[in-house]
Amino acid sequence: MEENEHTEEARERIYINGDEARFERVDITTVDVHFFDGRVIKGLEPRRLFPMTGVSRYITLLDENGDEAAIIRNLDALPEREREVVSACLDEYYHIPRVTRITGRSEKFGVTKFFCETDRGPCTIELRNIVHQIKLTYGIRVLFLDNDDNRYEIPDIRRLDKKSRALLDDYL
Amino acid sequence: MDESSFEYLRSEELGEDALLLINSAIYDGERLMFVISTDLNKKSRYAVNYFAATDTAVYSVDEVGGSERVQYDEIARAYVKRDYGNAIFITEDADGGRRNFIRFSYKTAPLFDAAAQFCETMAKGDTGIYEAIGIVEAALERRRGYCPKCGRALPRPGAECIYCQSKHKLVGKVAKYILPHKYVLLVCLLLSGITTATAMLPPYMTKTLVDDVLPHGDKNGLGTVVIILIFAYVLQYGIGLCRSYMLRVVGDKIVRDLRSDVYRRAQFLPMKFYDKTSTGSVINRVSGDTSTIQSFMLRVTQEVVVQAFTLVGIVVIMMAMNWRLTLLSLIPVPFVVVGARIFGKKIRPYYRKIWRRWSAVTSILTDSLPGIRVVKSFTNEREATENFDRYNDEWLKTDVRSARITIAFPQIVSFLITMGSLLIWAIGGRLVIEDPTFITAGDLVAFISYTSMFYAPVTFFANFNDSYQSALAAAERILDIIDAEPENNAGEGKKLDHMDGRIEFRHVTFSFDRSKKALSDINFVIEPGDIVGIVGTTGSGKSTIVNLLMRFYDGYDGQILMDGVDIREIDMEYYRRQIGYVQQEPMMFHDTIFNNISYGTPEADVDAVIHAADVANAHGFIARMPDAYDTVLGERGTGLSGGERQRISIARAVLKNPSVLFFDEATASVDSETESQISAAIERLISGRTTIMIAHRLSTLRRANKIIVVDHGEILEMGTPEELLARGGKYKRLCEIQAMSDRVNRDREKERFD
Repeated sequence: MEENEHTEEARERIYINGDEARFERVDITTVDVHFFDGRVIKGLEPRRLFPMTGVSRYITLLDENGDEAAIIRNLDALPEREREVVSACLDEYYHIPRVTRITGRSEKFGVTKFFCETDRGPCTIELRNIVHQIKLTYGIRVLFLDNDDNRYEIPDIRRLDKKSRALLDDYL
Repeated sequence: MDESSFEYLRSEELGEDALLLINSAIYDGERLMFVISTDLNKKSRYAVNYFAATDTAVYSVDEVGGSERVQYDEIARAYVKRDYGNAIFITEDADGGRRNFIRFSYKTAPLFDAAAQFCETMAKGDTGIYEAIGIVEAALERRRGYCPKCGRALPRPGAECIYCQSKHKLVGKVAKYILPHKYVLLVCLLLSGITTATAMLPPYMTKTLVDDVLPHGDKNGLGTVVIILIFAYVLQYGIGLCRSYMLRVVGDKIVRDLRSDVYRRAQFLPMKFYDKTSTGSVINRVSGDTSTIQSFMLRVTQEVVVQAFTLVGIVVIMMAMNWRLTLLSLIPVPFVVVGARIFGKKIRPYYRKIWRRWSAVTSILTDSLPGIRVVKSFTNEREATENFDRYNDEWLKTDVRSARITIAFPQIVSFLITMGSLLIWAIGGRLVIEDPTFITAGDLVAFISYTSMFYAPVTFFANFNDSYQSALAAAERILDIIDAEPENNAGEGKKLDHMDGRIEFRHVTFSFDRSKKALSDINFVIEPGDIVGIVGTTGSGKSTIVNLLMRFYDGYDGQILMDGVDIREIDMEYYRRQIGYVQQEPMMFHDTIFNNISYGTPEADVDAVIHAADVANAHGFIARMPDAYDTVLGERGTGLSGGERQRISIARAVLKNPSVLFFDEATASVDSETESQISAAIERLISGRTTIMIAHRLSTLRRANKIIVVDHGEILEMGTPEELLARGGKYKRLCEIQAMSDRVNRDREKERFD
């Protein structure tokens, strides 16, 4: 509302384009940012502005009130150490297991279950509405949103083995 | 709670190994109170970890027995931090030192919310442990309110799920639509038996012609055969005509019932269904899928029986005529059957894909055409067309791909059948030439006729799989609506004697999905007749409060009471009838102004509607319109200004004569003059009624005797306007900003007119 809008207007957005600041990790998802011009902003949480379509671009840094302090335009443009610090926070914050193999599928009581192996271990994806809970984007990337609002992804369905592909293909 | 009989609570059944791990972590002498099993370890990998609470401390125990312990007296704050796809239970000590205690997916997040409350209650130490454990017990009870098999809400905690009782078989589900027409369908079946039997006659007559009549020049015999054939054909086509008409009528009735059922169910689905489902895909189901299922049902109840009957009849006749030739003609059958199975497997995913693509196309239609003003105002016609074309092309590609299979299969089947007929010509013809006593020319001609008739049911059954697969895909989508969880109306039939309008929120916490809380621990009381303003920044949770009060969403923790009764226990229809709800963007229907005002109160007479329009300051502008109350509005109220639409929606509320009123930013999108007209209408309406007003412009709230300031889903301040101004908090700041903004606007206007 009014207050925020006025604040938004008054503040100039800070973009971090490259080697402009040093990031210190203070918690599993939080960093302190030490700008080379002397400014220090503490307790910022990196979040993706495009968690689905641009995992390393436009990383916003939010303070504990959820207000934005700065934006990293491109994570890949940061020095290696800073990139690793921010990436580590993002990895902790975003839990989107990558499905590497689908070992089985069942349909019972109106619930479709995919038994999967992911980069974070084996899991079962339960879906009540296969029409809306599986999305194919860019023709190759599959996103699942399960009954508990957990997210999973298959970055490239072409890299799945034949059996996994066959189990999934019916729903794409 | 009976302390002596208390056995620790658990979110899942625990095996011996799990208990061993937990017990080995717990300090001697401590008593286990509850255990929550999680599905992630601290490194965010899938593993079963445990959160155990004793009478002294809480523990996190990982899959290999590693554990952490925090005593309640060390906890200043405990809460659940929801990240993306996972959440962390965090404890803070008095110095603000944070500990990431245990990680879990959203599945168990609600239990941890309760665990956090439990920990804080224990830390305060002013409540006994057996009272505090009630928080966790209630959360577990709520979890028991969902079916463990399918996850849908149960009629009551622990009850059997009505969806999982049934077998979910297509035939069983759709049978109820056929049953009312069973007698007509039986008559149709009988008629088809007669036509099928009649159809067997012509080939036999052909044999008589070829073998007996033509070689002997028997003119009388020829006449007799022709008359018999005419009779047979009249019977066949006459009965066929009657049967087709009856089937068409039955089919139409079935599709009407199915459509009505889907539409009716769609009306009672909760808002969360529509939050996730595009209206285009629902429309697609009501229109396209119902027809697919209807044609399939008729095929099952009629054609399957008729074709099976034909198949058996012809095989018997052919065997009687010549069993060797019959066996020859059966050669292509295995190929056709195996081919049909392969075809079925290949084609089913395509039907799903085609539907998805088509659903995307209709979604664009339902989004862009009603929003055509926006499209035009942004000169986005070309982009809109390109966007539509892109999805339309996607549909084309998928349809063309499936066409390769759907077109090829029947052609291959026909080819195999033709080859079978040629085989009979070749072998049968040779037999006629070599040994006419074994098989006559008439027998061969009749046999070929029967063979072509025989392959009609074979082809039917081969292609039946195609329509079965198509119907299966359609049925899945229809059942998605018919079987979807309707709005919870546990209090059906329970009405209050009179709704005074006392509203109470008790520890209400709500999230639209499990990733973010929209409201956190909301507590307030509104007395009957109070006029309450809810203010806050955009996205602070103001409208969510009203959404919950309207019962658009029921899945919240805590209680909302109306006159002391939990609103979830009141009859839904009765409850909503007592409430007048005026939205920021009022929805108008493609109907007359009169019907738009009397929407929801169809029994209202003309005087009442005019009075309601008058109270809402709408009668004046309606009367000036050429067709006045008979003016038909375009879709979404086209033809009226925003202020006029708003006043019609207020007239709707007036006509309803509600006990309680909710205004959700009712004057947000109108100019100052219109605002004053609307405000005057509102003031007339609200007198003596409990009113909640969400307002952007604080000037709208001048009659409010209580203000609730909401921010980030929590109540920041609450009290009379004077109290809040004196407190100098957020409300005062908002008022100052508003006053400043109003002053600037007034100056600008003054400059413009000076």
